[in-house]
Formats: sequence, structure tokens, C-alpha cells
Amino acid sequence: MTSPSVGVVGGGPWGRALAKAARRAGSSVVLHTRREQDRHDEGVSMTVDYAAVAKAPLVILAVPSSVVRPVLTALGDHLTGRHLVVHGIRGLGTDGLETVSDVVREQTAVRRAGALGGPVQAGELIRARPSAMIIGSRYPEVIAAVTKNFQSPHLRVWSTPDLKGLEWASALVGCLSIGVGFAEEAGAGPGLVAALISRGVDEAARIMVAAGGEERTMLGLGGYGDLLASIALEDRPEVALGRALAQGVLLEDALSRVQLRIEAVPLIPRVVRFAEERRVQANTFRALCDVLHGARPEMLLERLFAA
Amino acid sequence: MLHDAPIFGFNAAREDIVRTVVSRVVLTTKDPLLALNDAAYHEVKRLETTRNPEERKELVEWQKTARSIGRMGEGQRRDKLAQVVEQISWDIVGNFDERVYSVSTKLLPPIVTYLLAPRTLVRLVSDPQKLVSLEALDDKVAVEGPIAELRELSRRGTAVYVPTHLSNMDSIVFGYALERAGLPPATYGAGTNLFTNPVLSYFMRNLGAYRVDRRVRHNLYKDVLKTYSSVLLERGYHSLFFPGGTRSRSGGVERRLKLGLMGTAIEAYARTLLAGRERRIYFVPATINYLITLEAETLIADFLAEAGKGRFIIEDDESSRIGRVAAFMRKLFDMQGSVVIRFGAPIDPFGNRVDEAGRSYDKRGREVDPAMYVRDIAGNVTMDPVRDAQYTRELSDEICKSYLTNTVIMSTHVVAAACFERLRRAAHASDLFVVVRQRDAVVVPRDDLAADVVRLRDRLVQLETRGRIVVSDLLRRSSGGDIVERALAAFAGYHALPVLSSRHDGIAIVDPNLLFYYQNRLAAHGMAWDVIAPPGMAPARPVSFENEGVGGAS
Repeated sequence: MTSPSVGVVGGGPWGRALAKAARRAGSSVVLHTRREQDRHDEGVSMTVDYAAVAKAPLVILAVPSSVVRPVLTALGDHLTGRHLVVHGIRGLGTDGLETVSDVVREQTAVRRAGALGGPVQAGELIRARPSAMIIGSRYPEVIAAVTKNFQSPHLRVWSTPDLKGLEWASALVGCLSIGVGFAEEAGAGPGLVAALISRGVDEAARIMVAAGGEERTMLGLGGYGDLLASIALEDRPEVALGRALAQGVLLEDALSRVQLRIEAVPLIPRVVRFAEERRVQANTFRALCDVLHGARPEMLLERLFAA
Repeated sequence: MLHDAPIFGFNAAREDIVRTVVSRVVLTTKDPLLALNDAAYHEVKRLETTRNPEERKELVEWQKTARSIGRMGEGQRRDKLAQVVEQISWDIVGNFDERVYSVSTKLLPPIVTYLLAPRTLVRLVSDPQKLVSLEALDDKVAVEGPIAELRELSRRGTAVYVPTHLSNMDSIVFGYALERAGLPPATYGAGTNLFTNPVLSYFMRNLGAYRVDRRVRHNLYKDVLKTYSSVLLERGYHSLFFPGGTRSRSGGVERRLKLGLMGTAIEAYARTLLAGRERRIYFVPATINYLITLEAETLIADFLAEAGKGRFIIEDDESSRIGRVAAFMRKLFDMQGSVVIRFGAPIDPFGNRVDEAGRSYDKRGREVDPAMYVRDIAGNVTMDPVRDAQYTRELSDEICKSYLTNTVIMSTHVVAAACFERLRRAAHASDLFVVVRQRDAVVVPRDDLAADVVRLRDRLVQLETRGRIVVSDLLRRSSGGDIVERALAAFAGYHALPVLSSRHDGIAIVDPNLLFYYQNRLAAHGMAWDVIAPPGMAPARPVSFENEGVGGAS
């Protein structure tokens, strides 16, 4: 058997969708999954062995951010400096605000890292509906490899060298989606929702710049693009959480209702703290913080329109 | 064993090195017309107003080139390019004279001692054995770090020393530190201004230094310089770069580095792989720490006037005035432990820790093959400037981290930080220029200052236990009063005007600029006011000691 060209780690919907997309682009794919797969995707070989994934020169991580560290530690035993590692994980650090690519550097020998972002959704990839994705990496080789292995008539791959910006943008979009779901459910009109989105994106861009990213990354596919796609989706967990909160459901209950770990929930207060330290305006994120703690919709307005 | 280092065969290899440089630069220059035009333009502009007859000749030559280049055919242009590149190469290339090396390592310290501090020599003459050794400097200059490991490593790979840069004394002091540590000499690029003093120039020239003329601005020159550096590394010559680019104007530890010369290491390494004779290259970050800095007054004045942009190259400063150098050296000889060179742990060009056998390890302690980083997805060794620039950017982060953890804090820094904090409180303003304008306006009672100093020192010792800074022995052991006295003594005899002045009612803060300079050594650690963070970088936040573990980030 020849070595696979892409290894995907993570047997959830996102990992499977990415494996499928790569397969569709003509790549040979190995998928690492610990779940029993009810159906086998054609042309994708399955494994529970990290060594088998590391046979591929390009490794894609699609696991929940809560397990990134242990997964990378285990995977790191098989990775060398030659591997290209790209993650499709929304979220920043478990204790600080380090990005997943920082964790890659810390847990493995890999330097050539990248991140996936943008509006593409797992469902679209699985059903082969045309969509767009963005790869962020400072290494041209990583961008070339992802484009080669994922681009197909169904998936356009754009790129940016601003890896850090893309990772922050993806995480911050998750936060803003909660706010949009909340506002819509609370009966905000299109004008107010638009104001919330625009102000939120602007604020997120400034926060991201303070973290070392580039503003335009937030304003592009990885930020605005991603946000527009996610708020259009009924089943997007962040949006659903926002809606539940607007109905007066307590955070714990709302979280168990969406039945998914939402990276943005613990992230919001950390972003607010970061913005305060760096003296960046963060009214929207502060409002989101209140929302998580059961603030009424009027409170959101107050925060947003505070001078 | 020391004399196995390739530099001892340097002169025999010079012609060959220059030939390699010329052929590589000519080969990689895509557009000779553009390169020559750019060079001619910048050189004519630089030389236009010169009165020096040698330089006038150069000017005429360049003007001729500028006129004729447009009419030349492609072949002629390549020839012209090769000729120009060869000229530049010979201008840069160094020399290494083993006799000068052995003589200077034995005799330079006593000669310098004699010239600058005759009384010390008298003491030494009573013991002739000491005269021909370096011991004269032993208790003045401390060399620390994993020296045995570095010595072992220097036999197996090629070292790139990357120290912090405060003073024009640095290259001499660092060369001395290598000798003291039993490490082979390193070649380095020294600014042309260091070659103006004939004695210094003679030693520089013959100890493997190559000339870097920072007045020459054209790209071809930079290409030749980088290629030269890369060829030296590829051939196993240990090298020394000051990656900060210029001396730190603020007095602070470098937080952002120039990547150009450092980046040449990866190409050099890849070439050894391609040639089938891998020779690993490793970086050794180091800090050079002074109780007082020779050029402090000029540097900080420059920083304050225009935040360093004013005069990028300072030609006329304390280091070119022999009297000041003498005063500085005298001070150095008077005080114990006034210079500390501290080597950090060696790392490979990809930021991995390296052991004494030259093996690389990732952050989790797994062995790593550095060759993998220069292989492409198909497994072939490639040279890719964009990729290598990014590796080097990440490497520079690691080097800067090493600088922080290996910064050695001395009494002048702590006393300056304590005084500056007083000035800041007295100013009731957060504007730096309001604070430094308070010349001779604040007097601190001795006991209060001593208490401030002890408090700060104790916090530094705590930070040291976290492995994030180094406190010099004297500082650790002394009482607050003694620390203040030592700083007063260090400042007094050297700086032209008093920095601090002892009065009946306490210590008067006379020169805020210099205190700012010395306190800046603590800024990046979050242990002093940080108004010197490079553009785009957030200032270091004050370290919190109340809740252990919480105030981790700096």
C-alpha cells in the first residue's frame, strides 16, 4: 500500500467531512477515529493508530479543542520536522489564549503549521455543496499542500499568511454568533442585528490586532464570511445557545440543551480580560459576558450603545 | 584541540571562499542590470560629497559604470557584475592570523591593562606568571553558562553566537569570553567604524573579523554579505552575529531581532546535507551584561531624541574617544564582577534544544532530526528562502526568550529602577518626557532608597527562582545600603555628570536619562516601567508575586 497523502485526526462530523472533501479532490486519505463508524466513507481508510496517520506528510486535526493537547502529545511521538500539520479547530487555549498552532509547536517537533477557517460547514462538505474555505499559514508549502489536497470543483480554497489572525478570527466569530442568536430571539430588528454584527466584527478586528493578527483577516473570509455563514444556520450550536439564553434559560441548561461543548463560552470572559489589559474597546464582548450570566436583552442594548 | 577549529585554516581557504561567493551571487542575481543600477545609484549618492581621494576614485568608477551599463550586452553585464561582486567580497573578507591570535590572547589583556590602568600592571608585574595570562581580568569579567557542553558541542557542529548588544566593547569582550571559556574563536562582521582605530583595526582584521560597511545601502552588498556569511557557516566556521542589528539604544534587552544574517544558517545547513556531508549548525544566545555601559549617554540621548530613528549609525560616541575608553576600562578594572557574559542553552536553527552531542530535542524531550525541516513534502532537501525566513522568525522568538531568562541584573540596574520609580511617582504623569525632565528635582532619603532597592531585589530573586532572570551574586548577597553605594561608585568615576549625588538629606536624582537607560534592563521582564517595547508589541505587564502561578505571563 502506498502512503496516504492526507491524514485526518478526529472522527466527528467535521473530521469526516474534511476526509471526504480531500477524497473528492483526489487525495488518498487516512482517518483516525475512536468512534465506531456506522458507515465507511468510500476511499477513506480508518485507523486507531497515530503512526498510520503520520505516514501522511499532511496531517489535519479536527478534534474538539478540549482534547487538542493530549491528542497532539500522543501524535507527536510519530511526527517529525517534515510533517505539515493543519488544524480546523475553533477556539483558543485551555488556560491562556494560546492558539492551537502554538500548542502544535509546544507538543510536537512540527514547525510548518496552519489552520483552516472560513464559511465552509461540515454539512456542505458531506453533501458536496459548493463552498469556500481558507487556509492560514506562514509557510507557502502548507498552503500549497492544503490547496492541492482539498481544492475541487466543490470547494474553493483561499489562503492567507496571517495564521494567528485566522485562528483568532475563527474563535471570535464563535463568540459573536452567540450574540447574534440572542439578539434575534430577543426580537431585535434587522437594523439592530446589523449594528451588532458590524460593531462586533470591528471590535473583534481590533482585539485580534492587539493579539498580533491583521485586521483584514477578520474582515475577510475567515471572519465576516464565517460569521455570515454561521448565523444563517439554524443548527449552529453557538446561535442555538444564544437563542436559549434569550428565552431566559440558564447557561447550564442551555448548554445541555445544545448538547455540545461550545468553545466560545469559557473564551468570552478571557477575551474581555485580554482586551482590558491591552486597552482595546470591547463593549460587545462585555455585553456577551453579561448575556452568559443571564442579563436581560435591554442590558445588551445598554452596553452596545454606551459611549 | 582548540586549534582544530576551521578558522585556523582560514587564510588558505580565502580565495576559494571568495570564488564561491562570487559565483553564487552572480548565479542568483536575476537581473544584473537592476542590481548594478541600484548599486551605482546608491554608491554615487553616498560618495558624491567625499573628499577622500580613494573614495573619489571609487566614485568615478561607479559613475562610469552607471553610464555604460545600459549599453552593455547580457554577457558583458554578467562580467561586470562578477567584477563588482568580487570587489565587494574582498572588501568584506576577513583575515585570520594565528600568530596574531596567540599573541593577542596572551598579551592583549596586559597591554590594555598597561595602557589604561598602569597601577594594575604594577601589581601584576610582581607575579610574572600572571602577566602572560588572562587572570588580570578574571574577577572583573565573569563568564557563565553551560560552558563544558558548549565546548564539547563546538567540536561536533558549527556555532552561531548571538549575544545581546549594548556597546562597541561587545565584540572584544565576547571574543575574550570565548577564549576564557576554552571555546574556539568565531568570525564576525564588525562595523567599519571599529576599523578606524589602527590598533583595534589590526587585531580585528587578523582575528577573523570581516568588514561590514553600514553606509553602503544597496542590495547587492547585502546579498554578498549574506552569501559570505552562509559560505562561512557551510564550511564550519563558528560565527558571531549581533542579531539586534545595532547597539540597544534604550539599554533594554532585545525583543525583536534582525533576521537577515541569522537566516543564512538554514541555507548553509541545507547545503551541507545536499553535499552529503551534514554538519549541524546551532545557535548560542548569550547576554553581555555591564555594570555601566561605555556609550550609555550617547545611546540614551539618541533613543530619547526620536526613539532611535535620529541617527541610525552613531560614528562619534564614547567608544571613539580614547579618553572615555580609558576611563571606562579603569572603572572596569576597579570594580569586581562588572561584566558578565552569560551563555544560554544552545538551540538548532528551528528552535529546538540541542545537547552536547549535537542532537536536537523537541519541547517534550523527544529527539528530532533537524534535516527533516529542510525536506519538502516529497522528502527532498530544498532551499526555500520564504520557508527559511519563517523558521528564522520563530527562532528569533526563542532567542529573545533566552535573552530574558539569561539577563544578569546588577546593582546599577536595580538602583536605577528604584530611583526611576520615585521619579515617576513625583511626576504625577504617565508621560516619559515629563518624568525625565525632573533633573535634580527629587531627593530620596538613603534609608528609603535602600528599602526600595531591597524590595525590588527580593522580587528579582523570586523571579530568578522561576528561572526567568539572573541576579548577580553581589546583588544577591549585599545589603540595601551596600547596593546603593556600589551603584553610586559605579556611576561616579565614569559618567561625565553625576547620575546620583549623595547629599546630607539623601540621594539626589540628578540624571534621569541615565537612570532610565539602566532601569530599562528590567523593563521587558515586567520589573520596571516598560515604555520601550518595540512598535506593535504590548509592553510587559508587571509581574505579580501575590498569587503564585497566576501572574505567570510577562
